[in-house]
Amino acid sequence: MMHSISKSVMLAMLFAGTGMLHAQLLDFTVDGKPVQVHGFVSQAFTASDDNNFLTMNTSAGSFAFTDFGGNISVELTDKFRVGAQFYDRNLGQLGKWHPQLDWASGDYKFKDWFGIRAGKIKTVLGLYNDTQDLESLHTWAILPESMYPLDLRSTIAHIGGDFYGDIGLKRLGSLSYTAYAGLIPDDPYGGYVYGVKAYGFNVTTLGAREEGGDLRWNTPVRGLLAGLSYIDADSQGKGTEALGLPDTEHTKKYELSQFYVQYVLGGLRLDGEYRRTFLDEVTLNSYGPYETVLDNRAFYGSASYRISKWLEVGSYYSRFYLNWRGTLSNPDNHIYDKVATVRFDVTNHWDIKIEGHFMNGYGATDAFQGFYLQDNQQGLKPNTNLLIIRTGLEF
Amino acid sequence: MRAIKLLFALVALGLYGDTSAQTSEIRIIANPNVDASEISREELLRIFLITKTSLPGATHVEPVLETAGVSNELFLKEYIGRTNTALMTYYRSLMFTGKASIPKSFGSDAEVAEYVAKTKGAIGYVGLSASTARVKTLKVR
Repeated sequence: MMHSISKSVMLAMLFAGTGMLHAQLLDFTVDGKPVQVHGFVSQAFTASDDNNFLTMNTSAGSFAFTDFGGNISVELTDKFRVGAQFYDRNLGQLGKWHPQLDWASGDYKFKDWFGIRAGKIKTVLGLYNDTQDLESLHTWAILPESMYPLDLRSTIAHIGGDFYGDIGLKRLGSLSYTAYAGLIPDDPYGGYVYGVKAYGFNVTTLGAREEGGDLRWNTPVRGLLAGLSYIDADSQGKGTEALGLPDTEHTKKYELSQFYVQYVLGGLRLDGEYRRTFLDEVTLNSYGPYETVLDNRAFYGSASYRISKWLEVGSYYSRFYLNWRGTLSNPDNHIYDKVATVRFDVTNHWDIKIEGHFMNGYGATDAFQGFYLQDNQQGLKPNTNLLIIRTGLEF
Repeated sequence: MRAIKLLFALVALGLYGDTSAQTSEIRIIANPNVDASEISREELLRIFLITKTSLPGATHVEPVLETAGVSNELFLKEYIGRTNTALMTYYRSLMFTGKASIPKSFGSDAEVAEYVAKTKGAIGYVGLSASTARVKTLKVR
């Protein structure tokens, strides 16, 4: 017993320890090559009034929201570095503790304006797509679900290659670009595969290829950043439908455009993002071939302020429309989310967040964006109030 | 309307903060192998944001930070425009996405100067009272 307590204390010290401990244990050299080892873990409690959210039994209160990961990276030369990170999570019915290779890449930087990465790479998209799993990096317990859904993570990484660089513009600031192409891996424990089961569909494979890019301008106004991202993808899925007969789906067109702006001044941060996702998909099964056209729109604005080293407050307002061409005011075609957050930084490596969500709409049971048919068999109510208390450690 | 006015005021403050001449109470230091004798504010910012990793005459440069203290506060305020917490969050976002390692950081001017002196391409900052015998001082233009 004492042994296990002392092990826990040592682990806590490792996570929440001082910079000196950090420097000694996690930053070292092997054969003269600098090596860094880092990790993170987070746990949340969620409670809602009526609707269950994110496949958890939130109406009864749920702790089924845990994730963690770790990475190692080595600088083999001044220009060449390699590294890898694993990630695991359990979020209600999603993830289910199946570890994934989050990223694993080699990165060679020829010049400041030109570098190449290859392997499994986090996709640069908008302000936070590549960092959305890292709880400690954000003010919020969960990022705007309209833009960075926890249950739909198909755009989070690709297996392929990136070209990237940074170009100084002297008095005009600098431009950063990333261009990429690759394959989006299967996500058998994600929200889409889970959600379609309520309709009798069993997805066996679901993947895509994608090409895209991101261009961001660090403007001469200190702290002001503006950018745009674009993805063109081609998705293919196979499985069986309710009668057990084959079901296939493929996209005729799948495009995503995102525009964003960020302003940081001292402890103040203002973010705004807008995304359009256009999907034209053909499904073939015993019901016959049919085509689905969806024009999703999402946007949010957020403001946060760090009052002191240990306290930050913030708020965001987010909107998601499943089909821009439908009736926008219907609760089954939109999700509006008003959010207020308080973040406490207990140490440099340990935070606690308390966050309230006041949502209107649920975006249809087949939108798979937070609300699912099988978790809400009593029928979805138009409004959802949700409390999230989330704590995270990183080293 | 008031919100828009406030936003414009904040942006104007950002512009002013970038272009106004300020009297520095810190010194930018570099390893003697760095050929440059001066550095622009824009280059310094990009080096510490790890989007620039070379300078004329130095194929590789690396930023070196202080973990806290007066020199650190002055440097971040004058050249980076982010709080220490925000800068660390930025570095962690690069590290956790596989894009860069977290730069070395030390607890005092003396430790920064010592590391910069022995590390090729290292660029850091120290207070005016710190010993800079084994490093070179870069003029910021």
